Amino acid sequence: MARMKFLCDSERCIECNACVTACKNENEVPWGINRRRVVTLNDGAKGERSISMACMHCEDAPCMAVCPVDCFYKTDEGVVLHSKDLCIGCGYCFYACPFGAPQYPQVGNFGSRGKMDKCTFCAGGPEADNTKEEYAKYGANRLAEGKLPLCAEMCSTKALLAGDGDVIAQIYKERVSRRGYGSGAWGWATAYKSGTAA
Amino acid sequence: MRLFNIKRTIWAALAFGIMLSLGSVAPASAQQQAPADEAALLLQLKGGPVTGRVSIPDAKSGVLIQPQGRDWRQTLEGPVKSAGGWLLVLTVVALAAFLAIRGRIKIEHGMSGRTIERFKGIERFAHWLTAICFVILGLSGLNISFGRSLLLPVMGPEAFTGLTAFGKLAHNFLSFPFVLGVLLMAVLWIRHNIFNAIDMEWFRQGGGLLQKGVHPPAGKFNGGQKIIFWLVVLGAAALAVSGYMLMFPFYVTDIAGMQLAQLVHAIAGILMVAVILAHIYIGSIGMEGAFDAMGSGQVDVNWAREHHSLWVKDVTARGAGDD
Amino acid sequence: MLIKKSSTTGAAPQKAGGKLSGILAGAALQTMDRRGFLKASGLAAGGLAAISALTPAMVKTAKAAPSSSANLVKKKNICTHCSVGCTVTAEVENGVWVGQEPTWDSPINLGTHCAKGASIRELTHGDRRLKYPMKLVDGKWTRISWDTAINEIGDKLLEIRQKSGPESAYWLGSAKFSNEGGYLFRKFAAFWGTNNIDHQARICHSTTVAGVANTWGYGAMTNSYNDIHNSKCIVIMGGNPAEAHPVSLQHVLRGKEKNRAPMVVIDPRFTRTAAHATEYMRIRPGTDIPVIWGLLWHIFQNGWEDKEYIRQRVYGMDDIRAEVAKWTPEETEKVTGVPGEQMKRVAELMAKNKPGTLIWCMGVTQHTVGTANVRALSILQLALGNIGVEGGGANIFRGHCNVQGCTDLGLDVTSLPAYYGLVEGAWKHWSRVWDVDYNWVLSRFQDKKFMETKGIPSTRWFDAVMIDKKDLEQPDNVKAMFFWGHGGNTVPRMPEMRTGMEKVELMVVVDPHPTTAAALPDRKNGTYLLPACTQLETRGSRTASNRSLQWGEQIVKPVFESKPDHWILYKLAKKLGFEQELFKNIKIDEGDEPNVEDILREINKGTISIGYSGQSPERLKEHMANQGDFDIVSLRATKGPLKGEFYGLPWPCWGTPEMKHPGTHVLYNTNLPVKDGGGAFRARFGVERNGVSLLADGSYPLGSEIQDGHPEFTYGLLKKMGWDKELTDAERATIEKIGGNNPDAVGWAIDLSCGIIRVTMAHGVQAMGNAKARANAFGLPDPIPVHREPIYTSRRDLVAKYPAMADRRDYRLPHLGKSIQDKDVSKDFPIILTSGRLVEYEGGGEETRSNKWLAELQQNMFVEINPEDAARLGIKEGQNVWVYGPENNAKARVKAMVTPRVGKGVAFMPFHFSGFWQGVDQRKNYPPGADPIVLGESVNGVTTYGYDPVTHMHENKATLCRIEAA
Repeated sequence: MARMKFLCDSERCIECNACVTACKNENEVPWGINRRRVVTLNDGAKGERSISMACMHCEDAPCMAVCPVDCFYKTDEGVVLHSKDLCIGCGYCFYACPFGAPQYPQVGNFGSRGKMDKCTFCAGGPEADNTKEEYAKYGANRLAEGKLPLCAEMCSTKALLAGDGDVIAQIYKERVSRRGYGSGAWGWATAYKSGTAA
Repeated sequence: MRLFNIKRTIWAALAFGIMLSLGSVAPASAQQQAPADEAALLLQLKGGPVTGRVSIPDAKSGVLIQPQGRDWRQTLEGPVKSAGGWLLVLTVVALAAFLAIRGRIKIEHGMSGRTIERFKGIERFAHWLTAICFVILGLSGLNISFGRSLLLPVMGPEAFTGLTAFGKLAHNFLSFPFVLGVLLMAVLWIRHNIFNAIDMEWFRQGGGLLQKGVHPPAGKFNGGQKIIFWLVVLGAAALAVSGYMLMFPFYVTDIAGMQLAQLVHAIAGILMVAVILAHIYIGSIGMEGAFDAMGSGQVDVNWAREHHSLWVKDVTARGAGDD
Repeated sequence: MLIKKSSTTGAAPQKAGGKLSGILAGAALQTMDRRGFLKASGLAAGGLAAISALTPAMVKTAKAAPSSSANLVKKKNICTHCSVGCTVTAEVENGVWVGQEPTWDSPINLGTHCAKGASIRELTHGDRRLKYPMKLVDGKWTRISWDTAINEIGDKLLEIRQKSGPESAYWLGSAKFSNEGGYLFRKFAAFWGTNNIDHQARICHSTTVAGVANTWGYGAMTNSYNDIHNSKCIVIMGGNPAEAHPVSLQHVLRGKEKNRAPMVVIDPRFTRTAAHATEYMRIRPGTDIPVIWGLLWHIFQNGWEDKEYIRQRVYGMDDIRAEVAKWTPEETEKVTGVPGEQMKRVAELMAKNKPGTLIWCMGVTQHTVGTANVRALSILQLALGNIGVEGGGANIFRGHCNVQGCTDLGLDVTSLPAYYGLVEGAWKHWSRVWDVDYNWVLSRFQDKKFMETKGIPSTRWFDAVMIDKKDLEQPDNVKAMFFWGHGGNTVPRMPEMRTGMEKVELMVVVDPHPTTAAALPDRKNGTYLLPACTQLETRGSRTASNRSLQWGEQIVKPVFESKPDHWILYKLAKKLGFEQELFKNIKIDEGDEPNVEDILREINKGTISIGYSGQSPERLKEHMANQGDFDIVSLRATKGPLKGEFYGLPWPCWGTPEMKHPGTHVLYNTNLPVKDGGGAFRARFGVERNGVSLLADGSYPLGSEIQDGHPEFTYGLLKKMGWDKELTDAERATIEKIGGNNPDAVGWAIDLSCGIIRVTMAHGVQAMGNAKARANAFGLPDPIPVHREPIYTSRRDLVAKYPAMADRRDYRLPHLGKSIQDKDVSKDFPIILTSGRLVEYEGGGEETRSNKWLAELQQNMFVEINPEDAARLGIKEGQNVWVYGPENNAKARVKAMVTPRVGKGVAFMPFHFSGFWQGVDQRKNYPPGADPIVLGESVNGVTTYGYDPVTHMHENKATLCRIEAA
């Protein structure tokens, strides 16, 4: 069984934000919810690098561990999903997440948060695959259609890779050996406790 | 616009620079770049967050990686939950043991039948407002920490989420009357809760709790009660500050602050629950006549003489209990 | 409310039929094929390659997934946001665009998009669109019908024509037209009787077109995005493609990686592109020529130039040597700020890593010396022998999605379609193409002089409204202004433009959005807003930057009451009384819509000079249907029915469609026969000058029977060669009919039979001649590019030595230079202000700022300030500041971004914003519900005067400003 992962090659990422709008487009993500974002380190100076970040679907997912209501689950492909029916919007997953992935719509009074929303690896949620109900809550379920997350599929420079961890690590490795440089697969050490395979 | 260069630590940039100059990856001849390696950068940042610039006006999204989330999780899962859980269990066990050994502390001279007003309506209102809120806050809080292990398997996910969501709502809303109650108690009682030499003596004699027939003198509040008072006031303050930070996430702090707030809240909450358990014990089954103080507000004179001799003297001297 | 598809696409092919079935046959399978191809070519393809991760079980799931959307169909169109030409694959259900999928087969974008392309679906849903025709009645926006709108506008136009003549209507068109819409618009203006017709090329690459066309023949990118895979050295100057052309970076970075090529970015600003460079050279804005001459100084000094190439193919390089000799490392460093050592290093990189490509954009073109800049860059590439070779080239990344096409089709004050100019012969040629009497066209104009006189450039239209009539070389001021797909905030001097907008009698905005023009001026009446649909809602061809033509299918019907450009033009022509002539050979389909394919056929018939003649609608559609057969480096089909052709038949695609020319991937490439896409520099400027030959010397396209330079072919020359016998009778008859009593003078470019091209090509010869490129472009104001300080410069010490051009007249207007430069304002305005793009927005930005998925990402207009300047001025990150300009008391209130992206003493502002004016929110000025989500001050509210002498391109990259905390 494939183990789905994301890999952002920061030597290729140009902060074009295609991944961000592709995600919005595919999943009809509302204003203010950013399942994916691009962070630029060392902005405006030599060594500047941008990295597209979303839920990394961690090996030992901290969000799953700390959720007070145990609303997360992991699919056979290693995709970390959650049930919005069970989520209470407590925010713990955000504190635990190394990547700032969980997002919350602001609902009601003070800072009270609605049901958490995050990248699903375009794999929907607990509802039956590709139903209207699933789409309304979680967005598209591309995996069930035999496709990969649209953010990676549309990445302008193919910086963002998605798919089986071994395969994308191999692609990255080949790239690095061909071009002679690479700054590592950002987040892999944290998410998968594995090296960047570079 | 890319305006939100939030809290980029200077040394994040420095580390990056160092990495660049070191050239961690052997470049091809034409390449001058040697961009940072994540592992090295994380090491350099000593577990601090990797932050950068984002164009969206969501300041917290500028944090690319925050490894300290792992520490937070470990602290929460480990010390806080296990130690805290055991603390509560041990508290209950200790109180039960105390009851078994010492038994209920009786009024030595029996009920006199005459009462004296110990707490006025406003005081009892403040106490019970705080107490009722605290019970619900405590239970809903404990549910957040321990419900997943204890209740979820029994109740099933849907019912448990319903309960927990309701608990979260109650927790948020009851925080306001709780804080109000604590503030009221603080204002009403703070002048009676300044520690003095009498308290030292009271402590020296173990408050008379350990031995029958020993009644060290005490004012309106004895040393033990003063400790409770200050624990409640300070504990509530910690809970309120950390709690409101959690309730208004990221308004005043960043991710590290949020994690700290959560830990403070959890630890303070568990400690408070333990303290209050003892308080409830001694105010109800632990001591004969004690409950009346907060029940009707009228306590038996004998009880008062035994436990708050100086206060009784004081009240009697003035002829009327003015407070 | 957008509803996304609720079922799989895997099920769609079962129900789809007809022409789409090929495209649709098995989505999953299709991607697998593509992956195999990519893997085979060693090009790891992002998420795509990873699809192999999908286990058979998952693919099976996909096939077994339930089908609840039998109506889901896929449509292919081209992204409307920039010139890269990314194919957009739309999933449409019941007439609603419900989803976007990657187009793996497109050799240009290989499935990818940037932020704009990945959110383009929103355009056809956008509730911020202009929904129906509106007019301003006593300051209030009022809904009207199309009939009313056309009638009232037409009546007013006829009144103005009566009163002031045809020159008083200004037709500002768009680089977002399709080729067909653009061509029709140009023809429309001709039939109205004016050359006051322009579009965005004026403000993006007009100086490039003028500069490179005057150097080697054609005003276009010489190679392609894909060809950068072959580059051994990539230099990007005055361009930030990472934001302006993000998908192009895929090719740039692949070239960089594959060849381990040095990538040099030369720019005043450390851009997102610079972040990926191996070498970043920061220059002072407005010193491009000194930088290039500084590089050439080292090249000449060390003998690194390609001497044989120069001997064979370049005219006048010695004149350049003389000028370059002045740019010693010391002088160069003094003027440009670039350390001498770096200058030498970059020169050596370029000289020793060949072929090398040179990419430039608006940082080079938008200057008072724009044309000279372009010329200098072209000369540098000529010196290195990098033009006409794969991996080399002047890769000019054009801006809008069809700015190349609309430039080619003459939306320009200086030319008819295909660069025929405005001379009598050009009009006669086009009259023949249009099948109308030349004298009738002439009768539409004021007189023959105006028919052959350049119009007023779009950068100056408001001058033509306000200037004293005696200073304006036309009968009357401009009274009617059309903004047809053109934002109002993209040229400098907005305070003056605003007054101009207020002064015209009639203002018509034809656009999917209300645009700045609707909101900026304080008008009460006489403004009309007509909702045009986007190119996604109609069909037609567009030309990408690399000269490839791509056909877009209609994805959905025009939304709300919007209409395609050609429909609106038909209605207006009918009202104005010349629709019979305008659409003589163009069928009018149901619903009064002119037939798009017929328009393209008419284009094919007439645009012989640049080889737009070989691409028929049928050929273009076949290319779109077989995208997957093209190699992504060579752009040549390696299999399938189109084997051997270049993708999109990049022009020149010589002769008629029947001749099956494959298109030209790399211009002037002598390594290929002409019939296979080879060529040589165009013989456009005569055969000799002062006794020196202008024709190529011993260089010729592969297989040419004339193994030397030669002039352009005419019927006469064909006879001399004895090749005229090879013409068919029909071809000969056509030529003789065109030539009348002097058929020998009929040139290849007006030979409507294309017989001359066919016959010369058969001999391996290029009909347009084989000349040298001109390093010395005699005839231009600066035949040898010389440095001239920006007219607003803070380096007063350099003004005397490098003065601006003297005040002069051109384009019917006065053109100031020296007189402005002589006034020193640098004390009050000490900071250099430059401008540029953001990836999320495009052009004037109304369209993209109305797209909620994009608008969220850039919510505030800002100014980038160097940390040192910010510290000195007491300005903090994120605070509001006033930016003041030196003209018209101009000012703008924006947020400060403190960043080392800009150098000390330089500030940068993006140019996509409008809707705030000098601190005041103008949201209420937009028609209700059609206001963009994000508004902000326009940079051009503070930018200043300054025009290139050749094209009147505006100066937008080097002016002065003052910044104060607000």
